[in-house]
Amino acid sequence: MTPAAAVELRGVSKRFDDVTAVDDVSLQITDGEFFSLLGPSGCGKTTTLRMIAGLEFPTAGSVRIFGDDMGLRPPNKRPVNTVFQSYALFPHMTVHDNVAFGLQMRKLGRDDVRQRVASALSLVQLEGEQRRRPRQLSGGQQQRVALARALVNEPRVLLLDEPLGALDLKLRQAMQLELKDLQSRVGITFIYVTHDQDEALTMSDRIGVMHGGRLLQVGTPEDIYERPRSPVIADFIGDTNMLSATARHDGHMVLGPGQVVRANVDVPPGAQVVLTLRPERLRLFPARDSVDPTDNALDAKVVRRVYLGNAITYDVDAAGVTLRVRQRNAPGQRSFAVGDDVKVAWTTDAAVLVDR
Amino acid sequence: MAQVLAPPPPDETTASPGAEAGAERARSRLGVLIGLPPALYLVLLFVVPLVIVLVYSFATRGPTGQTILADWNVDAYARLANPLVREIAFRSLGYAALTTAICLLVSYPFAYFIATRPAAVRNLMLVGVMIPFWSNYLVRTYAWRVLLSSSGPLSQLTELLGFGQTRLLFTSTAVVIGLVYGYLPFMVLPLYAAIERIDHALVEAARDLYASGARAFWKVTWPLSRPGVVAGSILVFIPTLGEYVTPAILGGSKTTMLGSYIVNQFLSARDWPFGSALSLVVMAVMLIATVVYFRTGGRTL
Amino acid sequence: MSAAERMSPTRPGGVTRRLLTAHAWLVYLFFYAPIAVLIVLSFNQNRMVGIWQGFTLDWYAQMLDNTAVLRAIRNSLMVAAISTVVATVLGTAAALSLERYRFRGRSAFDSVLYLPVIVPDVTMAVMMLLFFVRAADALFVASGARVGLGISTIAISHIAFNISYVAIIVRARLAGMDPVLEEAAADLYAGRWQTFRRVTLPQLMPGVLGGALLALTLSLDDVVITSFVSGPGSTTLPVYVFGLVRRGVTPLINAVSTVMLVASMVLVAASLLLQRRRAEP
Repeated sequence: MTPAAAVELRGVSKRFDDVTAVDDVSLQITDGEFFSLLGPSGCGKTTTLRMIAGLEFPTAGSVRIFGDDMGLRPPNKRPVNTVFQSYALFPHMTVHDNVAFGLQMRKLGRDDVRQRVASALSLVQLEGEQRRRPRQLSGGQQQRVALARALVNEPRVLLLDEPLGALDLKLRQAMQLELKDLQSRVGITFIYVTHDQDEALTMSDRIGVMHGGRLLQVGTPEDIYERPRSPVIADFIGDTNMLSATARHDGHMVLGPGQVVRANVDVPPGAQVVLTLRPERLRLFPARDSVDPTDNALDAKVVRRVYLGNAITYDVDAAGVTLRVRQRNAPGQRSFAVGDDVKVAWTTDAAVLVDR
Repeated sequence: MAQVLAPPPPDETTASPGAEAGAERARSRLGVLIGLPPALYLVLLFVVPLVIVLVYSFATRGPTGQTILADWNVDAYARLANPLVREIAFRSLGYAALTTAICLLVSYPFAYFIATRPAAVRNLMLVGVMIPFWSNYLVRTYAWRVLLSSSGPLSQLTELLGFGQTRLLFTSTAVVIGLVYGYLPFMVLPLYAAIERIDHALVEAARDLYASGARAFWKVTWPLSRPGVVAGSILVFIPTLGEYVTPAILGGSKTTMLGSYIVNQFLSARDWPFGSALSLVVMAVMLIATVVYFRTGGRTL
Repeated sequence: MSAAERMSPTRPGGVTRRLLTAHAWLVYLFFYAPIAVLIVLSFNQNRMVGIWQGFTLDWYAQMLDNTAVLRAIRNSLMVAAISTVVATVLGTAAALSLERYRFRGRSAFDSVLYLPVIVPDVTMAVMMLLFFVRAADALFVASGARVGLGISTIAISHIAFNISYVAIIVRARLAGMDPVLEEAAADLYAGRWQTFRRVTLPQLMPGVLGGALLALTLSLDDVVITSFVSGPGSTTLPVYVFGLVRRGVTPLINAVSTVMLVASMVLVAASLLLQRRRAEP
């Protein structure tokens, strides 16, 4: 039996006055998966999430949760809970009352509530903090209370709106793994909104990339990273080199005068294409070294060197084409200086074609 | 955890291209529901009375002071042009302007001083301003009646110093003093709010760019505090125009202001149409002044 | 603070500072001297208010015996209580509907709501008087009942202007409240009334109380409007004192005034203390 779609959006659009925030988005999210909506600020991902939550209503299209068309149903009648970007903890209530809120609204008995609150707090590793108030907690702790407050209601779908944005890097990275763990343990569907592509790549089963209100591509992290379908996606996800080229016969591409490379793509001769190359797929050699003839190679000069700790990036100029090369900072790796003459090489299957 | 809780049962589902329209309708219905009681109250007990006054302003005063609504005319409004009314109007404008000016001159250094104190002192000083403000206005004006009387403490002081008895009561001076006393907090608070809001970094930048203390004030602080000056001036000038209690207690027959003149029409002169016309005109003037203030970008007070 | 710290480029120093300090003291003197004189003179044995003759509590005793004064106090408190409660409820409702909802007629309502604040006392007094006169007429024609001016007319008038003041204050507080809290409540299955009672109202309380305090003060203070719409026997304290003052200055008035002053100051001090306690965890 095919698993039911936990959440389905069909042709959903949202317009505010003359701004189209969400443009004809159709999407199916499977039960139990960790799904991320990824995109830059203003791309419509938060608005889409809010339409699933019931905090906004679509101008067109429908939202279905486990097959039920949500229609005009307000948020308090939907089997979803939200973790807000600013946590939205009730400042005048204790941690216990915050977490208990949803249960109290559904009229559970006091002992039952207390028990569930306690287990929700231990799930997020905050046991014993029931009596504190939000302002007495750190950012990370507040974030976990917000999580507990949502999870205690056992929603079938949990919506998270950039919950880790306010945390510093180390804490954020730790929380990412914790959330992923939590999701696998609890087994419910997570829909996660973020602008941080590392975050999306780390945590998600599948990612939906949004830009300008439209859903550009849906796929696994590997799909998105290795096979981006448009220059926008390629550019947004990770660092990438984009090369314009004219196709010749047999997979040969002309970048510029005297620069012919081979790629594993099938396009008619004469077509104008854009090739994307990940910086970590490029290798640098001293100009005098010889390179494997089956690989592509260009002559270039180093114009910039940036030391990143765990890696070094070099920007090289190959007759007008600038390429960024990323080298792991490992023992035995050759180091280059600005001004060095080099050869930059990559395998023929490294370049990915994208539609213009 | 215990067994999975069932989601709450749905109560309405509709197929939807665009649930937005329905949701907005429902929301606006709720807004109307909440806003209806106060709106109805205001319509019934403010708008309707206003209309009634308007109607009365076109009526005629009968020989024994009763109002004859059947006789329509604009006599009441025509009388607004007569010299006595003009005299009173100009006097009111003059008092209001003088009061505003004095309040501004006194309040600005005061508000500036408070704004430059450390936080704890600031709050204490503001509370010190608020306490007389919250106490009864009538009583505070009466206090000046006592203070300024020719047998009062001030008079005794001047006698002691050889200046003889004060003859301030029932003069314009007394009225203006009373008005300034009553409305000073209305100037201090907006001024303080505006000055306090100024980003100190701007003044620091001015000093960093070789301005002296005085120049930094003149070129940075003063222009940026102007919204507070305007707000405070409006808050003092407009209500002062319609003042009644202060001139009634501290003034005499020669200091009649618009407020007392209007009240007279209803108590002694029994000329309700004229009184109605007058009160409408005074209101109209204040309304126009306020609208002008907001249209020219005045901040909400 | 050290002397060096006190001298910052953004604070006045030296002579300017001394002048400003002196000015500030003078202003406070200006504010409090009349009040102080009034309080002191209320203990004056002399009938001639200005000239001190000895300490006495006679005037306070007289005040407690004076039925007119006591009745005026009772009337003031009754009117203030009624008008404060009703105006606070209606004003809060008005603020909520304008700030959180959109509907047709919203801007009209918005404009009408601000009118009572702009309209001068005297005009409002005239408005209410004429309204009650006509309403009484209409009622007589309809049912033969004769209604006069009294506590109810005063309360009704006070509510009319207090709604606006409460609405302004509550609205300011509401505007500063992040609607995300109410969204979170709805997300957690709270219905609209529950959201209001458990999330919006507790957050709004300082504004509601501030509005209520203002309404209370304005009601207790009002002279002009009340004098127009009160009948015999329903005079409030300020109107009564006003009548006395027109007839001349006596120490009795001082005593009554002192009581009013002290009462209002205690009220304000109490509310400030309450605010401070609420702010602390």
